[in-house]
Amino acid sequence: MAYLEMRGITKRFPGVIANDHVDFSVEEGEIHALVGENGAGKTTLMRILYGLESPDEGIIRLGGRAVRIPNPQAAIRLGIGMVHQHFQLVPSFTALENIVLNREPRRGPLLDRQHARCALETLIERLGLEVDLGARISELSVGERQRVEILKLLYRNARLIILDEPTTVLTPQETHALFAMLRRLKEEGRTIIFISHRLSEVMEIADRVTVLRRGRVVGVRSVASTDERELARMMVGEVAAIARQACRSLENAPPALIVRDVTLAEIPGRLSLKGLSFEVRRGEILGVAGVEGNGQQELVELLAGLRFPQKGQILLDGKDITFMDVRGRRRHGLAVIPPDRLQEGLSLPAPVWANLIATRYHLPPFSHLGLLNRALIRSYAAQLIQKFEVMVPSIDAPALALSGGNLQRLIIAREVSTPPRVLIAAHPTRGLDMRATQAIRKLLLELAGQGTAVLLISTDIDELLALSDRLLVLHRGEIVGFLPISQADPESLGLLMAGRRLERRG
Amino acid sequence: MIRAMAFRNLQEVARFVITLGVALILGAIIIQLSGREASAAYRALFESALGSRLALADSLAVSTPLILTGLATAVAFRTGVFNVGVEGSLYMGAFAAAWVGFTWPNTPSGLLIPAAILAGGLAGSLWGLIPGTLKAWLDVDEIVTTIMMNYIAVSFTSYLVNYPFAVPGLANAMSPMVPSSIHLPRLLPPSQLHAGFILALLCALGVGVLFSRTTWGFEFNLQGSNPIFARWAGVRSPRVILTAMGLSGFLGGLAGAFQILGVHYRFIANFSPGYGYDGIAIALLGRTTAFGTLVGALLFGALRNGASGLELFAGIPLELVRILEAVIILMVTAEATIRLKGKKIPISVEREG
Repeated sequence: MAYLEMRGITKRFPGVIANDHVDFSVEEGEIHALVGENGAGKTTLMRILYGLESPDEGIIRLGGRAVRIPNPQAAIRLGIGMVHQHFQLVPSFTALENIVLNREPRRGPLLDRQHARCALETLIERLGLEVDLGARISELSVGERQRVEILKLLYRNARLIILDEPTTVLTPQETHALFAMLRRLKEEGRTIIFISHRLSEVMEIADRVTVLRRGRVVGVRSVASTDERELARMMVGEVAAIARQACRSLENAPPALIVRDVTLAEIPGRLSLKGLSFEVRRGEILGVAGVEGNGQQELVELLAGLRFPQKGQILLDGKDITFMDVRGRRRHGLAVIPPDRLQEGLSLPAPVWANLIATRYHLPPFSHLGLLNRALIRSYAAQLIQKFEVMVPSIDAPALALSGGNLQRLIIAREVSTPPRVLIAAHPTRGLDMRATQAIRKLLLELAGQGTAVLLISTDIDELLALSDRLLVLHRGEIVGFLPISQADPESLGLLMAGRRLERRG
Repeated sequence: MIRAMAFRNLQEVARFVITLGVALILGAIIIQLSGREASAAYRALFESALGSRLALADSLAVSTPLILTGLATAVAFRTGVFNVGVEGSLYMGAFAAAWVGFTWPNTPSGLLIPAAILAGGLAGSLWGLIPGTLKAWLDVDEIVTTIMMNYIAVSFTSYLVNYPFAVPGLANAMSPMVPSSIHLPRLLPPSQLHAGFILALLCALGVGVLFSRTTWGFEFNLQGSNPIFARWAGVRSPRVILTAMGLSGFLGGLAGAFQILGVHYRFIANFSPGYGYDGIAIALLGRTTAFGTLVGALLFGALRNGASGLELFAGIPLELVRILEAVIILMVTAEATIRLKGKKIPISVEREG
């Protein structure tokens, strides 16, 4: 009898199935890794377990008993704890105060610091941790904050600990220390679920692995009987060989976008980009592969004109646009499908028509001398939603009223209504259902066929392999490899994405 | 489609009526609790607000500065700039208009009136551009700066009439009178209603057109509804924020100028009972639309004017009307909160990982 059993868990969001009849079980005292690409449904499954989402179908058993987990408080009572990707600590409180928050030992109305400190110090000693209990969270490093989060769970006596991508924010040394602690927790008989997409770490720390892909369980393996290659293949899937247009000859096509040795400095919350160089030819789709958070956001911001490089040069059809602003770049034929549809791609409260002209309202024929030509704008908007099959209640409805797939169609309609010279398409099908995905992919191929240079940024390897002529792989803000599509397979791509340089094959 | 829009407008009207209705009911309860007859009080309120031509004219006169401060606030709020500094612009505009008047008293009125009004608007505008610049280029929180700027404006203008422009022999802090050639004509004497009211209506019309039919208005809406998207779409956000703050300050300055040229005929230190702050409640009540703000200002004007009658005829202290206003403001904010909670934005879908 497994310690934790989740059976037939299904969770639907508008237009997306995040979990599709997922069966997931964990033995007591094991470290169980949950792996999959972005959007595979890992986090949703764990949010269900922690009571942050309620499943549409399925049951959860813990220690043999069926349980209902309507909220995190219930989860905590059942001994389930979760460390989120974004830590949930009060920055101005000390580590000690954060740990005991909501479970304070009291003396009268006051916090009994002595007692709390005593209890925690034994815990810390047992686990061999280094935590300065008196320091404010804002003074601590990311690794230390993570230890505080874990201590918080242990203080609440969690038996089952969920760690959501705990290593993405850590240095290798901190990762090493984390793993040592996890092993000690395991020795104490606690159970750990470790969400990751870094396969080498999974191989190092986990006992067993469950692989999710597109909301479904692909398989469960014991680490002893598998290897990174097999896991990568499971994560990414066998590629449905959607034949691209018969190998178009792009050799002679002139480059439409040239990026030369571009360097972007780090700012808080953003990675740095180091010496990126690549070019996209007219009619070519260059795929950018990489695990999310390895420089994709920064690359798009750089190309869109929201940030400017410290070094290097960007050319659009031979014109230097390195320091041109967003509006100038768009005038020169650049179009962008931004990574975050709801924040960067649209204004949800604004009406559909306004979203459709938001990038060119200042140009004729939409306006003249500062006055909008409303009749023309309305007929233009009506035309676009018809041509791109956007389902809207009316063009005056706020974008809020649209489903995810239609929101993306709306953005794409705006961006490609006049075929751009260069299109930056970031995660164009993320979170969309199959039908919408196919329609958008077809559109991208058509655009390339008409001579648009497309930079396709995606974490979906199927998509990259199906659409791209060439691939580059980003890892921690650097390009770690270029692959012509003929040499790209999910396995080698998966390894590159995980930060392994490709070993040369004979 | 047209029906859908008509329905939305109907909803807006219903919302307005319900807000007002609930406020009146709560007000009635308070009046009853204070041991007075609510129905008599409301009758007195209505009589002295709208009961006669003169009463109506006085209500409109009280509304005049409120229309302009409401519009000033609406322009900024639309753009997502929380300008609570309209009061400061109003003081600067008022002083500038008075200064033009008493400095060149012998200029023909055809030149002097436009000059004084323009000076008022520009002074208010410049005052708004200071926090606007800080916000646009340095991302300094505008709520803090605009509040501080209000204190500076009130004290600075008070200093001006106490020292450099003090009138010898006058005990109160006032500027010299402006010449009568510069007075805005009274529309319905003996009421204080003056031509500034017509100009305020024109401003409401202008702001309405600005919001719905111009690229500026489009940028205000875009910047206000999602500043992140505005940047990605190529909107030059700093410039838009400056435009909005400049315009907001201009309207606030006009409000001040009209009070001087139409009512007081001289600058008086601390003359505003908080028109700038009233503008915040009015703009929110009007959902930051030009028309809604106009209606809200007229309503507040009528309430304020009616309040004097309430005290006179029903023996109900002015403070009760203030309470009524406060209840309306409370209703507006409560309703805004309810609306925000109801509108759940499905962001979690995107953030899977």
